[in-house]
Amino acid sequence: MADVAAVDNGHGTGTGLSNNKLLMWVFLGSECLLFGGLISTYLIYRSRYADGPAPGDIFDIPFTSVSSFILLMSSLTMVLSLSALQRGDIRNNRVWLLATALLGSLFIGGQVYEFTTFLREGLGYTTSPFSSAFFTLTGFHGIHVSLGIVMLVSLLIASFRGTLTKERSETVEIVGLYWHFVDVVWIFIFTVIYLVPSPTS
Amino acid sequence: MSDTIELAAPGRPLGVYTRPRDNTGWRGWITTVDHKKIGILYGVTAMVFFGIGGLEALLIRLQLATPDGTVLGADTYNRVFTMHGVTMVFLVIMPLAAAFANYLLPLQIGARDVAFPRLNALSYWVFLAGGLFLNVSWLLGDSPDGGWFAYAPNTGVVFSPGHGMDYYILGLQITGIASLISAMNLIVTVLNMRTPGMTLFKMPVMTWMILVVQFLLLFAVPVITVALFLLLFDRSFGANFFNPEMGGDPLLWQHLFWIFGHPEVYILILPSFGIISEVIPTFSRKPLFGYPFMVFSGIAIGFMGWGVWAHHMFVSGIGPISVAAFSMSTMFIAVPTGVKILNWLATMWGGKIKFTVAMLFAFGVVSMFTIGGLSGVTHSVAPADTQQTDTYYIVAHFHYVIFGGSLLGIFAGFYFWWPKVFGHLLSEKLGKWNFWLMIIGFNMTFGPMHILGLQGMSRRIDSYSPGFGFEFWNMFASIGSFIIALGVLMFVINVIASARRARHEPPVGPDPWDARSLEWFTPNPTPVHNFDELIQVDSLDEFWHRKYAEDENGRVVRVATAEEVCQDGSATDTHLPSPSYWPFVMAAGFPFVGFGLIYTLWICIPGALLILMAIYGWIFEPTDDPDGPHGHHADDPSDHDEAEASSEAAGETAEEAPVG
Amino acid sequence: MIPRILRTGRPAALIGGALLALAGCAADAPLDTLKPQGPISRSIDSLSDPIFLIAGIVFVLVFGASGLIWWKFRDDHSTDEFPPQVHGNFRLEIAWTIGPAILMAVIGVFTLFSHFELNGEDRTDIVINVDGTATSWDPEIVVIGQQWWWEFRYYFDGLDGVDLSDPRHLPPADIVTANQMVIPVGSEIGLSVTSRDVIHSFWIPALNGKRDAVPRRVSPWKIEADVPGFYFGQCTEFCGLSHARMQMQAVAMNPVDFQAWVDEQMQPAAEPADAAAQRGLAVFEGQCTRCHVVNGINGAIDDQPSKGADLVANAAPNLTHLMSRTTFAGGIFDLYEPDGSLNRTQLEAWLRNAPAEKPAYAEGRRGMPAMGLSEGQIDDVVAYLQTLGAKPDMEIIAATEVHP
Repeated sequence: MADVAAVDNGHGTGTGLSNNKLLMWVFLGSECLLFGGLISTYLIYRSRYADGPAPGDIFDIPFTSVSSFILLMSSLTMVLSLSALQRGDIRNNRVWLLATALLGSLFIGGQVYEFTTFLREGLGYTTSPFSSAFFTLTGFHGIHVSLGIVMLVSLLIASFRGTLTKERSETVEIVGLYWHFVDVVWIFIFTVIYLVPSPTS
Repeated sequence: MSDTIELAAPGRPLGVYTRPRDNTGWRGWITTVDHKKIGILYGVTAMVFFGIGGLEALLIRLQLATPDGTVLGADTYNRVFTMHGVTMVFLVIMPLAAAFANYLLPLQIGARDVAFPRLNALSYWVFLAGGLFLNVSWLLGDSPDGGWFAYAPNTGVVFSPGHGMDYYILGLQITGIASLISAMNLIVTVLNMRTPGMTLFKMPVMTWMILVVQFLLLFAVPVITVALFLLLFDRSFGANFFNPEMGGDPLLWQHLFWIFGHPEVYILILPSFGIISEVIPTFSRKPLFGYPFMVFSGIAIGFMGWGVWAHHMFVSGIGPISVAAFSMSTMFIAVPTGVKILNWLATMWGGKIKFTVAMLFAFGVVSMFTIGGLSGVTHSVAPADTQQTDTYYIVAHFHYVIFGGSLLGIFAGFYFWWPKVFGHLLSEKLGKWNFWLMIIGFNMTFGPMHILGLQGMSRRIDSYSPGFGFEFWNMFASIGSFIIALGVLMFVINVIASARRARHEPPVGPDPWDARSLEWFTPNPTPVHNFDELIQVDSLDEFWHRKYAEDENGRVVRVATAEEVCQDGSATDTHLPSPSYWPFVMAAGFPFVGFGLIYTLWICIPGALLILMAIYGWIFEPTDDPDGPHGHHADDPSDHDEAEASSEAAGETAEEAPVG
Repeated sequence: MIPRILRTGRPAALIGGALLALAGCAADAPLDTLKPQGPISRSIDSLSDPIFLIAGIVFVLVFGASGLIWWKFRDDHSTDEFPPQVHGNFRLEIAWTIGPAILMAVIGVFTLFSHFELNGEDRTDIVINVDGTATSWDPEIVVIGQQWWWEFRYYFDGLDGVDLSDPRHLPPADIVTANQMVIPVGSEIGLSVTSRDVIHSFWIPALNGKRDAVPRRVSPWKIEADVPGFYFGQCTEFCGLSHARMQMQAVAMNPVDFQAWVDEQMQPAAEPADAAAQRGLAVFEGQCTRCHVVNGINGAIDDQPSKGADLVANAAPNLTHLMSRTTFAGGIFDLYEPDGSLNRTQLEAWLRNAPAEKPAYAEGRRGMPAMGLSEGQIDDVVAYLQTLGAKPDMEIIAATEVHP
């Protein structure tokens, strides 16, 4: 049973996208609202830092810019891994998949470092509405990235077992959609949280 | 035919089982991925919850029948009214709409099933898990008691220290997952799997309304997910989202809840609008008046519904400019809704109306929803709402739209599509008792609440004192509620009696109502494979146009009988999606996670294991069983071989390779 | 000590009393929203009434059409022919989209006018005598909800500079009272509505719509009564166990009576003379002052914030002039019998076991707990409480029966 692509019931799909790909797009639509709700909550609470550190006091913009860049680069490697597989270049597909997963893990590592630093500096989860909103928003994002890494590793395993073939490149494309979405959300989060001038105490 | 479970086999890793094959018996139901069976499961389960929610309603009415009532103590009353609301909204109306959507939508677009049959099963089992989880709180003595709207900070850990609200949060998170997955599934199904020739504007209005509802769910459920997470984190981890002492804003809960909550009410009503848009033309013997306007007004309601949420917050202190804006937007959403009412009336106008029970219920929707809609318009006038909100006037409004609108529409759907699902008609005679008892009881119960509200009776009070003028109408309403109960009982009797009678009668033939849309092409009950062959659609109401044409004078003439047009269900070459255990197994994990988050994290472990095991099994199970059933003879081994089994969908998340 | 109000014997009090009796005549529906008794509620009513009428007309039209359809287009089986297969009518659709839209727009314009007026302020200062000094008072009252009663605080120097951001620690007020909010008649009174715990809603239907009391938010609202009278209210936002038993009343008085009330309320409680009352005071100081304040005992006129330290909301009703009110326990029990005698049975029951009379979460520090007093102690406390404040006029007592 060949290309799952845009065929169902013997005739083309209504949108021209395969069911699986359309499902991912639809799912990402709902995720927009999920992050929208969390971002809105953050926006409301960014200046309510009670007795704890204010955002302007505690953020390390250069550091977070570097980790944001890393995540951005991981989207590039994701694209490269897809295009490799579409060309039939299994080896480079694996290389770029691994690179994406590594870059993603580096990003998560950066988040962990950042969170533990904040904790040491007096910004805990329950310190203030600002802190709760900050950690919840970035935490949800981090969980999404981590699940993405799990998916990338699964693709790698499938590749090493020989089942991730050129014909199945749509699977990589679909994971890629998810990965790019998570990256775009981060751009929003980074802008809203870090780049927009924050209150200081 | 029994299925064989192999723990491991050559070429098949541990934990990867063959697909089950049973289509019969209880195993058939547990492993089904057939949209029709899933629809029936939703319907039956929702009706059981309807009984529970109805009992809760009767308890409320018993308590309020007299002043200073002593039937329920204050604490119990708060739990009962909370669970009544939660049950009716999340465990009754939404899954009843899902029942119709699941059963009929693929048929109405000429498809063989939904896009992702296993995900479809997962939605049902997760819904059941959530509903059971919510209700088990009764048995553990700690049911939610903060109202269905759960306003913070009352529902925070300081003011609701028990576990009740945790059950609320986690129960709704679980059912929310079910709704979200189902929404995604149905959207892909409608957008991708329509039969050749069926453009969007040749879909029945019911399909359109269901599609709009799925988009509303897709975007609204994440918002309440956020709200519930924030409340959970407040309660469990000491976060400060709704804690005013630390700077949290209780109104944030209200905004998040109602940004979900208002689209939610359109989620509740649009399916019934869709149902009656099929029933009314059929029994008026004319097409739906203004099809494009019906479609566009439904879409308009879907869009505009996002811009009115703060009309639930007119007196909460959001400031006069916000109130003014939402007052205006709420007024304007009345326009597309009114257009629908007028179009249904215009459909009936000039028709030759057959007042079957389905038509009676549809008629009931048009009239009862009008009343509810009009009281809604009076709420939109913000100054007036400062007197009306939080009184029984509001209770009257939403029961008129939800009961009078959504529920009566669902009953219309029951009577209309019962033959399609079960192969026999419900008794019209008993049905008339059902209808009249329900509608009389309903108006007796909720009509007077308009008066009670305007006379100042507050909502959500467990009792009232004598001397406020509330006694008479409360007693009247309570009597009415028992008449509703009798009406519902008539429905149950009808179901049982009709099933009994059907055993001694020949099955109802095709197209008992002379209907208009694609689902009536199949014999009754629908064969497991749906259509014998793909239907090429050339027009709206394709089925109708195969039976009838218009002559040179514009008069309708028959060109074919239903028997000639309808398929006979004998095809045996349709490959069906194989059943699967994993949706059931995965859903079973969720309540454990919930209990773990409430009591002790250790309990989460078996839940997480079940979910992970199910994900693994789901991904790796063969996409098909080559010896599995074809056509509708489940025990008829076919000698077809489709080599689907070879592709192990490694690394894919919950993918369903369409089998065709 | 003869209560001042009873001593005056002024004609005004009699006229006021008679009017009170008339106004309290909505005894059959004291929370009725359709019988406005003040200009604000009247303006709401004058907007709602035409809209109810319009809704009624639409209802009649739709039901009329439905009835007509039922009667005229029922299939009488006289022919087998299909009716004309009309698919739609573009012009009609446009008409009945634009028509209702215009109607809504018209309603909208009137709504906006009324709405901004409702949310506007138009107060005039009232001159009252505070401690002998004539003070120009911008009439505003701070309304605070907590589980399950209402507190009213009067700041006669105005609210500018009064920090209301932490309702559990409010600045000392001139008058702190509970359950019954006394206002001068014929004046727009500004309300600053807030809460000490969960969200409640302040509503006196005869005088205005409702406004939510949200913790840590102060919402401006207002109230005005045409005539002296007694106006019932009810908390209208679900606030937990005894939401149904959280009531309040607004008492509108003519200027003279209001002045008399102010003078009286600003007196601290005096030492009781009677032996039983003295014993009661001892019990009170031992037990009740953990939550309740009596000015002159554990608070002064320019008071520290409410005690109530044993309660989450950090407040319990100020009892200094308990006897001048006609309801207690959150406005749900009559303090006086119809004949003017103390409602001893109910008061004793309350002191004996409050949670049995009004469900509360005593162990959660919300609501009055069972104090574990002996019968003798209860009698003594009642004797003491009877010294706190002056009994109001019989007309007021009659008009304010919550449990007829």
